[in-house]
Amino acid sequence: MRTAAMAHQSKEPVTVPETTPTGTAAAAPAMSPRRRRRLGDATFSGIATTILVALLAVLCEIGPRAGWWGEEVLPSTSSIVASAADLLGQPQFWGDAARTSLEIGLSIVFGSVLGLLLGLVFWKLPTVGRIFEPYLVSFYAVPMVLFYPLAIVVVGINASSVVILATIMATIPVALNTTVGLNGIRPVYLKLARSLQCSPRQLLTSIALPAAAPFIVAGLRLGVVYALIGSIAMEFVTAQAGLGYRIRYLYEIFDNQTMFAYIFVVLVVSMILTALLVAVEKLLVKGRTQ
Amino acid sequence: MPVARPLTLKQRHGQFLGSIAVAFAVVLLWQIVSGLLFVVPAPARTVAVLASNLTDPDYLVDARETALAVATAFVIGTLLGGLVGLVLGLVKPVRLATEPLIVALNGVPKIVLYPILLPIFQLGGSKIVMGVLFCLFPVLINVAAGVRHIPDVYWKLARSVQASWLQTLVHIILPAIRRPLLTGLRLAVSLAVVGVVLSEFFATRYGLGRVVLQTYGHGDYPEMVATILLLIVVSFTISMLLWRWEKKVQ
Repeated sequence: MRTAAMAHQSKEPVTVPETTPTGTAAAAPAMSPRRRRRLGDATFSGIATTILVALLAVLCEIGPRAGWWGEEVLPSTSSIVASAADLLGQPQFWGDAARTSLEIGLSIVFGSVLGLLLGLVFWKLPTVGRIFEPYLVSFYAVPMVLFYPLAIVVVGINASSVVILATIMATIPVALNTTVGLNGIRPVYLKLARSLQCSPRQLLTSIALPAAAPFIVAGLRLGVVYALIGSIAMEFVTAQAGLGYRIRYLYEIFDNQTMFAYIFVVLVVSMILTALLVAVEKLLVKGRTQ
Repeated sequence: MPVARPLTLKQRHGQFLGSIAVAFAVVLLWQIVSGLLFVVPAPARTVAVLASNLTDPDYLVDARETALAVATAFVIGTLLGGLVGLVLGLVKPVRLATEPLIVALNGVPKIVLYPILLPIFQLGGSKIVMGVLFCLFPVLINVAAGVRHIPDVYWKLARSVQASWLQTLVHIILPAIRRPLLTGLRLAVSLAVVGVVLSEFFATRYGLGRVVLQTYGHGDYPEMVATILLLIVVSFTISMLLWRWEKKVQ
């Protein structure tokens, strides 16, 4: 406090940069205590997560070496990482990854478009929305996987049967969230649109969609996650290629080492993807409210 | 789903009739498709197969096995999820430390862990553990969020009446979080079914998932569709009932 006060009093320009608090003092008011605490929380979260992951890795390294469990139950961390690194040089892995990515990517695109359209329809025609609501809510995405054996009978064991069901799984959260978001728009926004004589397209793109954006973004994130979970789960049941299929296949031919590498890669990639999606969602929603 | 105003009686009738009409339309579509594709059995045939299945003692062994596994997974999963969620909601450092990992784990296709579970929990236990893994997260996340958003006044009330821990839990916390809790339970039911049945698709001795995959292998499609129908209808009915309860609680 004293140094800051003195800096203000002194007329010499040289002393200003020398008094250390000035630089930070100028930035501090913009950064409220709450925001600073939130940053502290985020740092704490990050450090704690790193420590937890490191502990887990160490535990899994020591476990099989100390004989707490056998190598065939869960190999040591280092050997899993080594064989996962090996995997990245194999064309078969990239073939499986490409197949799974294609399925997930297509499902995300179809699911998002379909979900947004359905959400708009349910918003514009509330009666239709109410009629379909119990089905959407109860079929909340996941039990769709149970239709997979039927889908492969009808469509065949190929990427399209996975894409069809994963698309439905991705559509449901997007449609539900879009409807909730649009129904929750404050009436004053719509009044504003009317008084400005917005065209229907302007109403949609400049008012309705931005106002419902937090919900829509959350729905899209869920859609991505369900497309991912669904695609890999269905491949796991049966398929001719893909990451989920390969894990099952490797289990059946007792190639544990490669199987663990595949499981590791799937876990790491999907965890990173989920974390990224959450981060993107936070950024988007924060940018909007500020 | 937040509905802006309560529905009028007429609207509610409309919704009910409309939902029934949708169900009819789906059955009609199914009938038409079954006429076009020989692999799809007609609705009437499927229901007949289902009815005869439900009187077949062998089938009932499978059904009981799956039902028992799902129920066990649901009970363990919701208790565990509720407990962990409670701790996460109440103890901030623990929440901060584990939240990123929990969020990330929730987005993981957990079924790929099944080969790891098999040698540890054997055939009978692994599918229950898988069901627990599936249904744990929605309960955990919803309870944690619910507990965090309990107004301070409630805690003050608990302190001023000197409620014991158990009393606080039963009379303050549970009523305060009943809505997110119910949402979590609703999601957990169908997730437990999916977790168990997917595991049975992979490897098991008894269970409806095995029936589905075996009838698929034999090309006995009416039997297969009847079993899928049973699973879907049961989990659909339970989550629908829970959803209605959830809406009433609002």
